[in-house]
Amino acid sequence: MSDPPLVVDDVSVTLGGRAVLSGVSLTAERGELVGLIGPNGAGKTTLLRAIRGGVPTTAGSVTVTGRSVSSLSAREIGRRVATVPQETELSFGFSVEQAVAMGRHAHIGRFGTPDETDQEVIADALARTSLESLANRPVTDLSGGERQRVLLARALAQATPVLLLDEPTASLDINHAIRTLETVRSVVDDGTAAVAAIHDLDLAARYCDRLILLAEGDVVAAGDPERVLTSETLDDAFDATAVVSRDEVTDTPRVTALSAESTATTDEEE
Amino acid sequence: MRVRQRAVTWSLGLTTVLAVAGTLSAGIGPVSIPPATVVKILLNAVSLPAGIEVAPLSVAGTLQVPVPTLQWQSAVAYPVDSTAETIIMRVRLPRIVLAATVGFALAAAGTVMQGFFRNPMADPSIIGVSSGAAVGAVAAIVAPAAIPFGLGLRGAAFLGAVITAFVVYLIATDGGRTPVATLLLAGVAIQAFLGAVIAALQLYSGEGLRAVVHWLMGHLGNAGWDDVTITLLIVPVLFGMLLAYARDLNVLLLGEEAAAGLGVEVERTKRLLLAVSAVLTAAAVAVSGVIGFVGLIVPHMLRLVVGPDHRVLLPAAALGGASFLVITDTIARAGATEIPVGIVTAALGAPFFLYLLRSREVHAL
Repeated sequence: MSDPPLVVDDVSVTLGGRAVLSGVSLTAERGELVGLIGPNGAGKTTLLRAIRGGVPTTAGSVTVTGRSVSSLSAREIGRRVATVPQETELSFGFSVEQAVAMGRHAHIGRFGTPDETDQEVIADALARTSLESLANRPVTDLSGGERQRVLLARALAQATPVLLLDEPTASLDINHAIRTLETVRSVVDDGTAAVAAIHDLDLAARYCDRLILLAEGDVVAAGDPERVLTSETLDDAFDATAVVSRDEVTDTPRVTALSAESTATTDEEE
Repeated sequence: MRVRQRAVTWSLGLTTVLAVAGTLSAGIGPVSIPPATVVKILLNAVSLPAGIEVAPLSVAGTLQVPVPTLQWQSAVAYPVDSTAETIIMRVRLPRIVLAATVGFALAAAGTVMQGFFRNPMADPSIIGVSSGAAVGAVAAIVAPAAIPFGLGLRGAAFLGAVITAFVVYLIATDGGRTPVATLLLAGVAIQAFLGAVIAALQLYSGEGLRAVVHWLMGHLGNAGWDDVTITLLIVPVLFGMLLAYARDLNVLLLGEEAAAGLGVEVERTKRLLLAVSAVLTAAAVAVSGVIGFVGLIVPHMLRLVVGPDHRVLLPAAALGGASFLVITDTIARAGATEIPVGIVTAALGAPFFLYLLRSREVHAL
């Protein structure tokens, strides 16, 4: 059994004098989609940045395909870790195909041009995200959902063993959110190790193999969605009362958050 | 692939435009020379290697080493009027070549700066290069004795430009990172400060005021081959370096965080682009003074036409800038009295740019 493509070991990050992550560990195996959940400011985005070497760690280590991220150049990291950002500037009039082709940047030498392999990977990324018909449209003409697919396609074009997603469905309607996660799921099933920060707990439970619940820079709970999504852990992490039931259609946990007022009443009753 | 084809096609097309503009321009002036004669004169000047002569060279008194030297020979010898030949070769051609080189450098640096800052208002002088050059040049006119190492006006202008860019970079850099917003604001502040210095120098320039104003307006007159040679040697090398980073520049347009994720060594790339563009601009400004507009508008014009991909845009904008400055400088010197080329670039360029702006769907930048 080989090592997992992604090993985060006891990583701490301090930003502006504040401990944003304190001793976080996680692994992602090939073919595994790990969901990162937790309240705003829990450190999800910082953890993703630490994984791709975008923020200095004060302790611990991140190992991607057997190499420590801190020892790799940006180019080497770009061949190992791809990121689907929450939102990015796509304000320049590049076509969809050009924007997706930028995913190949780390694979092409300074004086090189995209070869046949690159073209195939780009075409495949466009196909997987159903963007073929939009390939020649300027990205500035696209809707929010289509733009998100361009960003996913760009990450797929990077063809990396590790894929990171930062709230890939945050700005999408439910139909686009599901399509995006279905695509991610199929890429993961083909052998990619993925970590996705996801706000929607129901979707996280439905598509992720494992969940990691972060709160204030700490792992509060980790494991199967059923084990992580319990009233106790969620109360603790989100500081709100939540009821966990079972979705009859998908047969995955469903979280219903109750308002802070009902929390107060519960407290009084106790 | 397709990108390379587009880049080559546009480059060849715009090189042709430049060649035609240069040839026509060489015929225009107090003495009118027909284009056919200009072409003959230019062909006469082309030398081809005709053979290799091996001459023995004595080393250390006794040892004889055969040294091969290339023999050059004119390929053709059309009979042409020698006065016309002198006018073209000694007066007009150096000026045209200088205009082309300066326009090329300014437009290339402007393209890079606009991409680098992701800001449509960026131009080559944004980090204070032109102001620094102006201080150097004005100081050299007002108080030549104060300029060290006998640099002369051009050397002082070049040095002032490069030092200013470096100072702005140092001010904006903290812990190995140079945020572009800080760089932009530091550049603006330094430009304002140097503006005060230039104004003060002008106040005490006395006899030299006319020369100072002339320099500040930008000029290409009185160019000889010596002026052209250095610029002509520096500019292609620096441009080649920028072109090698064209794809990185595309990725940088997505923002630095995204660029780093895609495998761009962000800070190192920014440093290199900044340094090369600064020297490129300095090399142009040192010989021509402050010619505005070329570095701001020409990149926009070409971006509207060829799109945002720097692998195509950078050579297209550079060659477009070369043609643009050759044409505007021809107009500047065609009249009875020569007017500063900076006036022509703005007076002609702005309406043309506004026309392009209105006639095309502008997506962004």
